[in-house]
Amino acid sequence: MITGVLAALVLFGLCAGAMPAGAAAALGILAGAALWIFGRHSHGGVLVIDVYARRSRYFAWSPALKTAACVLLLILCVVSPTSWVPLALALILAALTVAGGGITPRDYLALLSFPAVFLLLSGLALLWDYAPAGDGVLAVPFWNGWLVVTAAAQARARLVTARALGAVSCLYFLSLSTTLPEILAVLRRAHVPQVMTELAILIYRYLFVLLSAYGAMKDAAASRLGYSGFARSIRTTGAVYGNLLSSSFRRSGACFDAMESRCYDGEIRFLQREKPVTLPAALLLGGLAAAAAAGTLLAVRSCG
Amino acid sequence: MGKREKWLTVLSAAPGLALCIAPSAAAMHIMEGYLPPVSCVVWGAVCLPFLAAGVASIRRVAREKRKALLLLAMAGAFVFVISSLKIPSVTGSCSHMTGTGLAAILFGVPATAALGVIVLVFQAVLLAHGGLTTLGANTFSMAIAGPLVSWGLYRAGRKLRLPKKLNVFLAAALGDLFTYCVTSLQLAMAYPSADGGAAASAVKFLGVFAPTQLPLAVIEGLLTMLVIMGMETYAKQELRLIGYAEEV
Repeated sequence: MITGVLAALVLFGLCAGAMPAGAAAALGILAGAALWIFGRHSHGGVLVIDVYARRSRYFAWSPALKTAACVLLLILCVVSPTSWVPLALALILAALTVAGGGITPRDYLALLSFPAVFLLLSGLALLWDYAPAGDGVLAVPFWNGWLVVTAAAQARARLVTARALGAVSCLYFLSLSTTLPEILAVLRRAHVPQVMTELAILIYRYLFVLLSAYGAMKDAAASRLGYSGFARSIRTTGAVYGNLLSSSFRRSGACFDAMESRCYDGEIRFLQREKPVTLPAALLLGGLAAAAAAGTLLAVRSCG
Repeated sequence: MGKREKWLTVLSAAPGLALCIAPSAAAMHIMEGYLPPVSCVVWGAVCLPFLAAGVASIRRVAREKRKALLLLAMAGAFVFVISSLKIPSVTGSCSHMTGTGLAAILFGVPATAALGVIVLVFQAVLLAHGGLTTLGANTFSMAIAGPLVSWGLYRAGRKLRLPKKLNVFLAAALGDLFTYCVTSLQLAMAYPSADGGAAASAVKFLGVFAPTQLPLAVIEGLLTMLVIMGMETYAKQELRLIGYAEEV
Protein backbone atom coordinates (compact mmCIF):
# COMPACT_ATOMS: atom_id res chain seq x y z
CA MET A 1 0.00 0.00 0.00
CA ILE A 2 2.81 2.37 0.86
CA THR A 3 4.35 1.56 -2.53
CA GLY A 4 1.10 2.66 -4.13
CA VAL A 5 1.00 5.96 -2.24
CA LEU A 6 4.65 6.58 -3.09
CA ALA A 7 4.03 5.82 -6.75
CA ALA A 8 1.15 8.28 -6.83
CA LEU A 9 3.27 11.00 -5.21
CA VAL A 10 6.28 10.47 -7.49
CA LEU A 11 4.26 10.29 -10.69
CA PHE A 12 2.43 13.46 -9.72
CA GLY A 13 5.78 15.14 -9.16
CA LEU A 14 7.07 13.90 -12.50
CA CYS A 15 4.07 15.08 -14.51
CA ALA A 16 3.02 18.25 -12.68
CA GLY A 17 3.45 21.27 -14.92
CA ALA A 18 3.65 19.19 -18.08
CA MET A 19 -0.11 18.59 -18.02
CA PRO A 20 -3.06 20.05 -16.11
CA ALA A 21 -2.81 19.43 -12.35
CA GLY A 22 -6.02 17.38 -12.36
CA ALA A 23 -4.73 15.03 -15.06
CA ALA A 24 -1.37 14.62 -13.27
CA ALA A 25 -3.11 13.84 -10.00
CA ALA A 26 -5.45 11.35 -11.70
CA LEU A 27 -2.54 9.61 -13.42
CA GLY A 28 -0.64 9.39 -10.15
CA ILE A 29 -3.62 8.00 -8.26
CA LEU A 30 -4.38 5.46 -11.02
CA ALA A 31 -0.82 4.16 -11.09
CA GLY A 32 -0.68 4.04 -7.31
CA ALA A 33 -3.90 2.05 -7.14
CA ALA A 34 -2.65 -0.36 -9.82
CA LEU A 35 0.54 -0.99 -7.90
CA TRP A 36 -1.37 -1.42 -4.66
CA ILE A 37 -3.68 -4.01 -6.17
CA PHE A 38 -1.29 -5.96 -8.42
CA GLY A 39 2.10 -5.27 -6.97
CA ARG A 40 2.24 -7.62 -4.01
CA HIS A 41 5.62 -9.16 -4.01
CA SER A 42 5.16 -12.68 -2.83
CA HIS A 43 7.62 -14.62 -0.79
CA GLY A 44 6.12 -17.95 -1.75
CA GLY A 45 9.19 -19.21 -3.53
CA VAL A 46 12.56 -17.54 -3.36
CA LEU A 47 13.65 -18.69 -6.79
CA VAL A 48 10.49 -17.86 -8.75
CA ILE A 49 12.54 -16.24 -11.50
CA ASP A 50 14.42 -19.49 -12.05
CA VAL A 51 11.13 -21.37 -12.36
CA TYR A 52 9.76 -18.87 -14.88
CA ALA A 53 12.98 -19.08 -16.90
CA ARG A 54 12.63 -22.82 -17.33
CA ARG A 55 9.00 -22.42 -18.33
CA SER A 56 9.63 -19.72 -20.92
CA ARG A 57 9.29 -20.28 -24.64
CA TYR A 58 12.54 -18.41 -25.17
CA PHE A 59 14.33 -21.02 -23.03
CA ALA A 60 15.17 -22.90 -26.24
CA TRP A 61 16.91 -19.88 -27.78
CA SER A 62 20.67 -19.66 -27.79
CA PRO A 63 21.80 -18.30 -24.41
CA ALA A 64 24.79 -16.55 -25.95
CA LEU A 65 22.52 -14.65 -28.33
CA LYS A 66 20.13 -13.65 -25.54
CA THR A 67 22.92 -12.56 -23.22
CA ALA A 68 24.70 -10.54 -25.91
CA ALA A 69 21.49 -8.85 -27.08
CA CYS A 70 20.43 -8.00 -23.54
CA VAL A 71 23.80 -6.55 -22.60
CA LEU A 72 23.77 -4.43 -25.77
CA LEU A 73 20.23 -3.22 -25.05
CA LEU A 74 21.18 -2.49 -21.44
CA ILE A 75 24.06 -0.31 -22.57
CA LEU A 76 21.84 1.50 -25.07
CA CYS A 77 19.29 2.13 -22.32
CA VAL A 78 21.84 3.59 -19.95
CA VAL A 79 23.51 5.89 -22.50
CA SER A 80 20.27 7.08 -24.07
CA PRO A 81 19.90 10.89 -23.78
CA THR A 82 16.11 10.84 -24.15
CA SER A 83 13.51 8.93 -22.20
CA TRP A 84 11.65 7.69 -25.28
CA VAL A 85 14.05 4.96 -26.35
CA PRO A 86 14.23 3.24 -22.94
CA LEU A 87 10.50 3.64 -22.38
CA ALA A 88 9.70 2.07 -25.76
CA LEU A 89 12.17 -0.74 -25.02
CA ALA A 90 10.58 -1.29 -21.62
CA LEU A 91 7.14 -1.68 -23.16
CA ILE A 92 8.29 -3.92 -26.05
CA LEU A 93 10.41 -6.18 -23.86
CA ALA A 94 7.73 -6.45 -21.19
CA ALA A 95 5.21 -7.42 -23.88
CA LEU A 96 7.63 -9.97 -25.36
CA THR A 97 8.43 -11.45 -21.96
CA VAL A 98 4.78 -11.78 -21.02
CA ALA A 99 3.67 -13.06 -24.44
CA GLY A 100 6.31 -15.73 -24.84
CA GLY A 101 7.36 -16.32 -21.31
CA GLY A 102 4.54 -18.25 -19.74
CA ILE A 103 4.20 -15.56 -17.10
CA THR A 104 1.01 -13.65 -16.41
CA PRO A 105 1.02 -9.84 -16.54
CA ARG A 106 0.10 -9.85 -12.87
CA ASP A 107 3.14 -11.91 -11.90
CA TYR A 108 5.32 -9.68 -14.05
CA LEU A 109 4.04 -6.61 -12.23
CA ALA A 110 4.60 -8.32 -8.90
CA LEU A 111 8.21 -8.93 -9.89
CA LEU A 112 8.52 -5.28 -10.88
CA SER A 113 7.27 -4.08 -7.51
CA PHE A 114 10.56 -5.00 -5.90
CA PRO A 115 12.80 -2.57 -7.78
CA ALA A 116 9.85 -0.16 -7.78
CA VAL A 117 10.44 0.67 -4.12
CA PHE A 118 14.00 1.72 -4.80
CA LEU A 119 12.94 3.60 -7.92
CA LEU A 120 10.25 5.52 -6.05
CA LEU A 121 12.30 6.40 -2.97
CA SER A 122 15.20 7.66 -5.06
CA GLY A 123 12.71 9.37 -7.34
CA LEU A 124 11.56 11.40 -4.34
CA ALA A 125 15.15 12.35 -3.57
CA LEU A 126 15.82 13.34 -7.17
CA LEU A 127 12.66 15.43 -7.51
CA TRP A 128 12.51 17.43 -4.31
CA ASP A 129 15.10 20.03 -3.47
CA TYR A 130 15.46 22.25 -0.43
CA ALA A 131 15.73 25.88 -1.50
CA PRO A 132 15.48 29.25 0.26
CA ALA A 133 13.00 30.58 -2.33
CA GLY A 134 9.82 28.83 -3.34
CA ASP A 135 9.95 29.11 -7.12
CA GLY A 136 9.46 25.94 -9.10
CA VAL A 137 6.77 23.75 -10.56
CA LEU A 138 5.69 22.66 -7.09
CA ALA A 139 6.67 24.23 -3.78
CA VAL A 140 5.84 23.37 -0.19
CA PRO A 141 6.96 25.59 2.71
CA PHE A 142 9.32 23.74 5.03
CA TRP A 143 11.64 24.83 7.86
CA ASN A 144 12.46 28.46 7.01
CA GLY A 145 12.51 27.61 3.33
CA TRP A 146 10.83 25.62 0.66
CA LEU A 147 10.80 22.11 -0.68
CA VAL A 148 10.61 22.62 -4.42
CA VAL A 149 10.38 20.61 -7.61
CA THR A 150 12.11 22.45 -10.44
CA ALA A 151 11.63 21.76 -14.13
CA ALA A 152 15.28 20.73 -14.45
CA ALA A 153 14.98 18.23 -11.60
CA GLN A 154 11.80 16.91 -13.20
CA ALA A 155 13.51 16.38 -16.54
CA ARG A 156 16.40 14.57 -14.89
CA ALA A 157 14.14 12.38 -12.77
CA ARG A 158 12.07 11.48 -15.84
CA LEU A 159 15.18 10.48 -17.78
CA VAL A 160 16.63 8.43 -14.92
CA THR A 161 13.35 6.68 -14.23
CA ALA A 162 12.87 5.84 -17.89
CA ARG A 163 16.40 4.49 -18.19
CA ALA A 164 15.96 2.36 -15.09
CA LEU A 165 12.62 0.97 -16.31
CA GLY A 166 14.10 0.13 -19.70
CA ALA A 167 17.15 -1.50 -18.14
CA VAL A 168 15.06 -3.54 -15.70
CA SER A 169 12.91 -4.91 -18.49
CA CYS A 170 16.08 -5.87 -20.43
CA LEU A 171 17.36 -7.68 -17.37
CA TYR A 172 14.00 -9.38 -16.85
CA PHE A 173 13.90 -10.50 -20.47
CA LEU A 174 17.22 -12.22 -19.92
CA SER A 175 16.61 -13.63 -16.46
CA LEU A 176 13.06 -14.78 -17.21
CA SER A 177 14.23 -16.79 -20.22
CA THR A 178 17.73 -17.99 -19.36
CA THR A 179 18.84 -19.98 -16.34
CA LEU A 180 21.91 -18.99 -14.39
CA PRO A 181 24.06 -22.00 -15.37
CA GLU A 182 23.54 -21.07 -19.02
CA ILE A 183 24.59 -17.48 -18.37
CA LEU A 184 27.62 -18.79 -16.49
CA ALA A 185 28.55 -21.00 -19.43
CA VAL A 186 28.42 -17.92 -21.67
CA LEU A 187 30.62 -16.06 -19.19
CA ARG A 188 33.12 -18.90 -19.20
CA ARG A 189 33.32 -18.70 -22.97
CA ALA A 190 33.91 -14.97 -22.56
CA HIS A 191 37.03 -15.81 -20.50
CA VAL A 192 35.87 -14.89 -17.04
CA PRO A 193 38.37 -16.58 -14.66
CA GLN A 194 37.45 -20.22 -14.43
CA VAL A 195 37.73 -20.40 -10.69
CA MET A 196 34.96 -17.81 -10.44
CA THR A 197 32.56 -19.54 -12.82
CA GLU A 198 33.17 -22.85 -11.11
CA LEU A 199 32.54 -21.37 -7.70
CA ALA A 200 29.39 -19.79 -9.10
CA ILE A 201 28.12 -23.10 -10.46
CA LEU A 202 28.74 -24.79 -7.13
CA ILE A 203 26.95 -21.95 -5.37
CA TYR A 204 23.98 -22.29 -7.70
CA ARG A 205 23.69 -26.00 -6.94
CA TYR A 206 24.00 -25.48 -3.20
CA LEU A 207 21.22 -22.90 -3.22
CA PHE A 208 18.60 -25.58 -3.60
CA VAL A 209 20.17 -27.73 -0.87
CA LEU A 210 20.29 -24.82 1.54
CA LEU A 211 16.79 -23.61 0.75
CA SER A 212 15.24 -27.00 1.42
CA ALA A 213 17.22 -27.38 4.64
CA TYR A 214 16.10 -23.92 5.67
CA GLY A 215 12.46 -24.78 4.94
CA ALA A 216 12.63 -27.81 7.22
CA MET A 217 14.33 -25.86 10.01
CA LYS A 218 11.89 -23.00 9.78
CA ASP A 219 8.88 -25.31 9.90
CA ALA A 220 10.34 -27.11 12.89
CA ALA A 221 10.92 -23.83 14.70
CA ALA A 222 7.50 -22.45 13.77
CA SER A 223 5.71 -25.56 15.00
CA ARG A 224 7.38 -24.99 18.38
CA LEU A 225 6.16 -21.37 18.50
CA GLY A 226 9.64 -20.09 17.69
CA TYR A 227 8.29 -17.04 15.89
CA SER A 228 5.83 -15.78 18.49
CA GLY A 229 6.75 -12.20 19.28
CA PHE A 230 9.44 -10.02 17.83
CA ALA A 231 12.28 -10.74 20.27
CA ARG A 232 11.79 -14.46 20.05
CA SER A 233 11.63 -14.41 16.25
CA ILE A 234 14.96 -12.60 16.14
CA ARG A 235 16.49 -15.22 18.41
CA THR A 236 14.99 -18.07 16.41
CA THR A 237 16.10 -16.57 13.10
CA GLY A 238 19.64 -16.20 14.39
CA ALA A 239 19.68 -19.76 15.69
CA VAL A 240 18.27 -21.14 12.44
CA TYR A 241 20.79 -19.23 10.32
CA GLY A 242 23.70 -20.39 12.46
CA ASN A 243 22.49 -23.95 12.34
CA LEU A 244 21.99 -23.70 8.58
CA LEU A 245 25.54 -22.54 8.00
CA SER A 246 27.11 -25.17 10.24
CA SER A 247 24.99 -27.99 8.83
CA SER A 248 25.78 -26.83 5.30
CA PHE A 249 29.49 -26.88 6.11
CA ARG A 250 29.16 -30.43 7.33
CA ARG A 251 27.23 -31.37 4.22
CA SER A 252 29.91 -29.89 2.00
CA GLY A 253 32.34 -32.35 3.60
CA ALA A 254 30.20 -35.26 2.45
CA CYS A 255 29.87 -33.64 -0.95
CA PHE A 256 33.62 -33.33 -1.23
CA ASP A 257 34.12 -37.01 -0.40
CA ALA A 258 31.61 -37.94 -3.09
CA MET A 259 33.35 -35.76 -5.66
CA GLU A 260 36.79 -37.03 -4.67
CA SER A 261 35.69 -40.62 -5.13
CA ARG A 262 34.54 -39.71 -8.66
CA CYS A 263 37.97 -38.41 -9.66
CA TYR A 264 37.48 -34.70 -8.93
CA ASP A 265 40.67 -32.96 -10.03
CA GLY A 266 39.76 -29.35 -9.35
CA GLU A 267 37.69 -28.87 -12.47
CA ILE A 268 34.00 -29.48 -12.93
CA ARG A 269 32.60 -30.21 -16.38
CA PHE A 270 28.93 -30.25 -17.26
CA LEU A 271 27.23 -31.58 -20.32
CA GLN A 272 25.19 -28.83 -21.90
CA ARG A 273 22.37 -29.02 -24.35
CA GLU A 274 23.27 -27.48 -27.68
CA LYS A 275 21.13 -24.48 -28.44
CA PRO A 276 22.07 -23.10 -31.85
CA VAL A 277 21.18 -19.56 -32.91
CA THR A 278 17.86 -19.77 -34.76
CA LEU A 279 16.75 -17.38 -37.48
CA PRO A 280 13.60 -15.96 -35.82
CA ALA A 281 15.45 -15.35 -32.56
CA ALA A 282 18.36 -13.65 -34.34
CA LEU A 283 16.00 -11.53 -36.46
CA LEU A 284 13.87 -10.45 -33.51
CA LEU A 285 16.69 -9.59 -31.12
CA GLY A 286 18.92 -8.18 -33.87
CA GLY A 287 16.08 -6.02 -35.17
CA LEU A 288 15.30 -4.78 -31.69
CA ALA A 289 18.93 -3.92 -31.01
CA ALA A 290 19.29 -2.18 -34.39
CA ALA A 291 16.13 -0.15 -33.83
CA ALA A 292 17.25 0.85 -30.34
CA ALA A 293 20.70 1.80 -31.61
CA ALA A 294 19.18 3.88 -34.41
CA GLY A 295 16.83 5.60 -31.97
CA THR A 296 19.70 6.39 -29.59
CA LEU A 297 21.87 7.73 -32.43
CA LEU A 298 19.06 9.96 -33.66
CA ALA A 299 18.47 11.22 -30.15
CA VAL A 300 22.18 11.92 -29.60
CA ARG A 301 22.34 13.84 -32.87
CA SER A 302 19.24 15.91 -32.16
CA CYS A 303 20.53 16.73 -28.67
CA GLY A 304 23.69 18.03 -30.24
CA MET B 1 18.31 -13.53 26.48
CA GLY B 2 20.83 -11.35 28.28
CA LYS B 3 20.06 -7.91 29.60
CA ARG B 4 22.07 -6.26 26.88
CA GLU B 5 20.34 -8.23 24.16
CA LYS B 6 16.96 -7.23 25.51
CA TRP B 7 17.97 -3.62 25.62
CA LEU B 8 19.27 -3.76 22.06
CA THR B 9 16.10 -5.41 20.83
CA VAL B 10 13.97 -2.68 22.33
CA LEU B 11 16.27 -0.08 20.88
CA SER B 12 16.02 -1.68 17.45
CA ALA B 13 12.25 -1.54 17.60
CA ALA B 14 12.09 2.14 18.49
CA PRO B 15 13.10 3.86 15.23
CA GLY B 16 11.01 1.53 13.14
CA LEU B 17 7.94 2.04 15.27
CA ALA B 18 8.48 5.76 15.44
CA LEU B 19 8.71 6.14 11.69
CA CYS B 20 6.50 3.23 10.73
CA ILE B 21 7.09 3.61 7.03
CA ALA B 22 9.18 0.70 5.89
CA PRO B 23 7.58 -0.61 2.72
CA SER B 24 10.20 -3.09 1.67
CA ALA B 25 13.52 -2.67 3.32
CA ALA B 26 15.73 -4.40 0.88
CA ALA B 27 19.40 -4.08 1.30
CA MET B 28 20.49 -1.00 -0.55
CA HIS B 29 21.14 -2.35 -4.00
CA ILE B 30 21.24 0.37 -6.63
CA MET B 31 18.78 -0.84 -9.23
CA GLU B 32 19.55 -1.75 -12.82
CA GLY B 33 20.04 1.23 -15.08
CA TYR B 34 19.94 3.82 -12.31
CA LEU B 35 23.49 5.12 -12.67
CA PRO B 36 24.82 7.12 -15.64
CA PRO B 37 27.34 5.28 -17.83
CA VAL B 38 30.38 7.11 -16.44
CA SER B 39 29.64 6.05 -12.85
CA CYS B 40 29.07 2.45 -13.94
CA VAL B 41 32.50 2.29 -15.55
CA VAL B 42 34.33 4.18 -12.79
CA TRP B 43 32.96 2.07 -9.94
CA GLY B 44 33.68 -1.06 -11.91
CA ALA B 45 37.28 0.05 -12.34
CA VAL B 46 37.60 0.86 -8.62
CA CYS B 47 36.55 -2.69 -7.77
CA LEU B 48 39.01 -4.39 -10.10
CA PRO B 49 42.08 -4.52 -7.80
CA PHE B 50 40.00 -5.93 -4.95
CA LEU B 51 38.50 -8.51 -7.26
CA ALA B 52 41.90 -9.50 -8.58
CA ALA B 53 43.07 -10.02 -4.99
CA GLY B 54 39.92 -12.02 -4.28
CA VAL B 55 40.34 -14.26 -7.32
CA ALA B 56 43.98 -14.83 -6.42
CA SER B 57 43.07 -15.74 -2.84
CA ILE B 58 40.36 -18.14 -3.98
CA ARG B 59 42.65 -19.69 -6.55
CA ARG B 60 45.24 -20.27 -3.82
CA VAL B 61 42.60 -21.88 -1.62
CA ALA B 62 41.45 -24.08 -4.49
CA ARG B 63 44.99 -25.26 -5.18
CA GLU B 64 46.05 -25.88 -1.60
CA LYS B 65 42.90 -27.15 0.07
CA ARG B 66 40.30 -28.32 -2.38
CA LYS B 67 37.89 -28.99 0.41
CA ALA B 68 37.99 -25.35 1.39
CA LEU B 69 36.73 -24.40 -2.07
CA LEU B 70 33.54 -26.30 -1.36
CA LEU B 71 33.25 -24.56 1.99
CA LEU B 72 33.59 -21.21 0.22
CA ALA B 73 30.89 -22.23 -2.25
CA MET B 74 28.62 -23.18 0.64
CA ALA B 75 29.41 -19.85 2.26
CA GLY B 76 28.48 -18.00 -0.94
CA ALA B 77 25.24 -19.93 -1.21
CA PHE B 78 24.54 -19.17 2.44
CA VAL B 79 25.05 -15.44 1.97
CA PHE B 80 22.72 -15.50 -1.04
CA VAL B 81 20.08 -17.51 0.81
CA ILE B 82 19.98 -15.28 3.87
CA SER B 83 19.86 -12.21 1.66
CA SER B 84 16.80 -13.63 -0.07
CA LEU B 85 14.90 -14.63 3.07
CA LYS B 86 12.53 -12.45 4.98
CA ILE B 87 13.69 -11.55 8.47
CA PRO B 88 11.42 -10.52 11.31
CA SER B 89 10.79 -6.82 11.36
CA VAL B 90 8.81 -4.51 13.50
CA THR B 91 6.67 -2.85 10.89
CA GLY B 92 5.44 -5.90 9.06
CA SER B 93 7.55 -4.98 6.07
CA CYS B 94 9.81 -7.26 4.11
CA SER B 95 13.42 -6.89 5.20
CA HIS B 96 16.40 -8.90 4.10
CA MET B 97 19.83 -9.28 5.63
CA THR B 98 22.88 -8.31 3.62
CA GLY B 99 25.23 -10.84 5.19
CA THR B 100 28.23 -8.69 4.33
CA GLY B 101 29.37 -8.23 7.93
CA LEU B 102 29.04 -11.92 8.60
CA ALA B 103 31.04 -12.85 5.51
CA ALA B 104 33.77 -10.32 6.28
CA ILE B 105 34.19 -11.55 9.87
CA LEU B 106 34.23 -15.19 8.81
CA PHE B 107 36.17 -15.13 5.53
CA GLY B 108 38.21 -11.91 5.42
CA VAL B 109 37.97 -9.04 2.93
CA PRO B 110 39.48 -10.42 -0.34
CA ALA B 111 37.45 -13.63 -0.32
CA THR B 112 34.33 -11.63 0.57
CA ALA B 113 34.90 -9.35 -2.42
CA ALA B 114 35.12 -12.29 -4.84
CA LEU B 115 32.19 -14.13 -3.26
CA GLY B 116 30.31 -10.84 -3.14
CA VAL B 117 30.50 -10.31 -6.90
CA ILE B 118 29.12 -13.76 -7.56
CA VAL B 119 26.36 -13.27 -5.02
CA LEU B 120 25.49 -9.86 -6.51
CA VAL B 121 25.23 -11.34 -10.02
CA PHE B 122 22.99 -14.05 -8.58
CA GLN B 123 20.87 -11.48 -6.80
CA ALA B 124 20.52 -9.42 -9.97
CA VAL B 125 19.52 -12.37 -12.14
CA LEU B 126 17.58 -14.54 -9.69
CA LEU B 127 16.03 -11.99 -7.35
CA ALA B 128 16.07 -8.76 -9.37
CA HIS B 129 17.92 -6.99 -6.54
CA GLY B 130 20.53 -4.70 -8.05
CA GLY B 131 21.58 -5.07 -11.65
CA LEU B 132 24.28 -5.79 -14.17
CA THR B 133 25.11 -2.20 -15.14
CA THR B 134 25.27 -1.19 -11.48
CA LEU B 135 27.31 -4.25 -10.54
CA GLY B 136 30.48 -2.19 -10.03
CA ALA B 137 28.88 0.33 -7.70
CA ASN B 138 27.05 -2.33 -5.73
CA THR B 139 30.18 -4.45 -5.44
CA PHE B 140 32.08 -1.50 -4.06
CA SER B 141 29.50 -0.62 -1.43
CA MET B 142 28.37 -4.09 -0.38
CA ALA B 143 31.32 -6.39 -1.05
CA ILE B 144 34.25 -4.07 -0.41
CA ALA B 145 33.50 -0.93 1.66
CA GLY B 146 31.06 -2.52 4.13
CA PRO B 147 33.16 -5.64 4.71
CA LEU B 148 36.31 -3.54 5.12
CA VAL B 149 34.67 -1.57 7.93
CA SER B 150 33.20 -4.69 9.55
CA TRP B 151 36.48 -6.54 9.41
CA GLY B 152 38.50 -3.55 10.66
CA LEU B 153 36.12 -2.92 13.54
CA TYR B 154 36.08 -6.59 14.45
CA ARG B 155 39.87 -6.70 14.52
CA ALA B 156 40.11 -3.46 16.51
CA GLY B 157 37.49 -4.71 18.95
CA ARG B 158 39.48 -7.87 19.52
CA LYS B 159 42.61 -5.84 20.23
CA LEU B 160 40.65 -3.71 22.70
CA ARG B 161 39.24 -6.87 24.29
CA LEU B 162 35.64 -5.84 23.85
CA PRO B 163 33.16 -8.53 24.87
CA LYS B 164 32.85 -10.81 21.85
CA LYS B 165 29.09 -10.44 21.41
CA LEU B 166 29.23 -6.66 21.52
CA ASN B 167 32.18 -6.68 19.16
CA VAL B 168 30.44 -8.77 16.51
CA PHE B 169 27.25 -6.76 16.87
CA LEU B 170 29.04 -3.45 16.43
CA ALA B 171 31.12 -4.68 13.50
CA ALA B 172 28.12 -6.01 11.60
CA ALA B 173 25.74 -3.15 12.35
CA LEU B 174 28.25 -0.41 11.58
CA GLY B 175 29.42 -2.21 8.44
CA ASP B 176 25.80 -2.29 7.30
CA LEU B 177 25.34 1.40 8.07
CA PHE B 178 28.52 2.21 6.21
CA THR B 179 27.25 0.31 3.17
CA TYR B 180 24.12 2.41 3.22
CA CYS B 181 26.12 5.64 3.52
CA VAL B 182 28.40 4.64 0.63
CA THR B 183 25.43 3.79 -1.56
CA SER B 184 23.81 7.15 -0.80
CA LEU B 185 27.08 8.88 -1.62
CA GLN B 186 27.37 6.98 -4.90
CA LEU B 187 23.85 8.07 -5.85
CA ALA B 188 24.58 11.63 -4.79
CA MET B 189 27.78 11.79 -6.80
CA ALA B 190 25.94 10.53 -9.86
CA TYR B 191 23.07 12.96 -9.37
CA PRO B 192 24.26 16.09 -7.51
CA SER B 193 21.56 18.50 -6.48
CA ALA B 194 21.21 21.79 -8.36
CA ASP B 195 21.68 24.09 -5.35
CA GLY B 196 23.90 22.32 -2.89
CA GLY B 197 25.83 19.93 -5.13
CA ALA B 198 26.64 16.37 -4.14
CA ALA B 199 26.55 17.09 -0.38
CA ALA B 200 22.93 18.26 -0.39
CA SER B 201 22.00 15.40 -2.63
CA ALA B 202 23.69 12.91 -0.27
CA VAL B 203 21.62 14.25 2.62
CA LYS B 204 18.46 13.71 0.57
CA PHE B 205 19.35 10.14 -0.36
CA LEU B 206 20.42 9.35 3.21
CA GLY B 207 17.11 10.79 4.38
CA VAL B 208 14.75 8.84 2.15
CA PHE B 209 16.43 5.52 2.88
CA ALA B 210 17.03 6.08 6.61
CA PRO B 211 13.65 4.75 7.82
CA THR B 212 14.31 1.39 6.21
CA GLN B 213 18.05 1.15 6.76
CA LEU B 214 18.55 2.17 10.40
CA PRO B 215 16.38 -0.57 11.98
CA LEU B 216 17.76 -3.02 9.44
CA ALA B 217 21.35 -2.37 10.53
CA VAL B 218 20.48 -3.08 14.16
CA ILE B 219 18.64 -6.28 13.27
CA GLU B 220 21.49 -7.33 11.03
CA GLY B 221 23.94 -6.80 13.89
CA LEU B 222 21.83 -8.88 16.29
CA LEU B 223 21.41 -11.72 13.80
CA THR B 224 25.10 -11.76 12.89
CA MET B 225 25.96 -11.98 16.56
CA LEU B 226 23.60 -14.93 17.07
CA VAL B 227 24.87 -16.72 13.95
CA ILE B 228 28.49 -16.38 14.96
CA MET B 229 27.78 -17.60 18.47
CA GLY B 230 26.02 -20.63 16.99
CA MET B 231 28.79 -21.30 14.50
CA GLU B 232 31.50 -21.23 17.13
CA THR B 233 29.65 -23.86 19.09
CA TYR B 234 28.97 -26.24 16.25
CA ALA B 235 31.37 -25.74 13.36
CA LYS B 236 34.70 -24.65 14.75
CA GLN B 237 36.69 -27.16 12.71
CA GLU B 238 35.31 -26.03 9.36
CA LEU B 239 35.77 -22.41 10.35
CA ARG B 240 39.45 -23.04 10.98
CA LEU B 241 39.82 -24.58 7.55
CA ILE B 242 38.75 -21.36 5.85
CA GLY B 243 40.96 -19.22 8.05
CA TYR B 244 38.63 -17.97 10.78
CA ALA B 245 39.60 -18.17 14.41
CA GLU B 246 43.12 -19.52 14.01
CA GLU B 247 44.01 -18.35 17.45
CA VAL B 248 40.79 -19.18 19.28
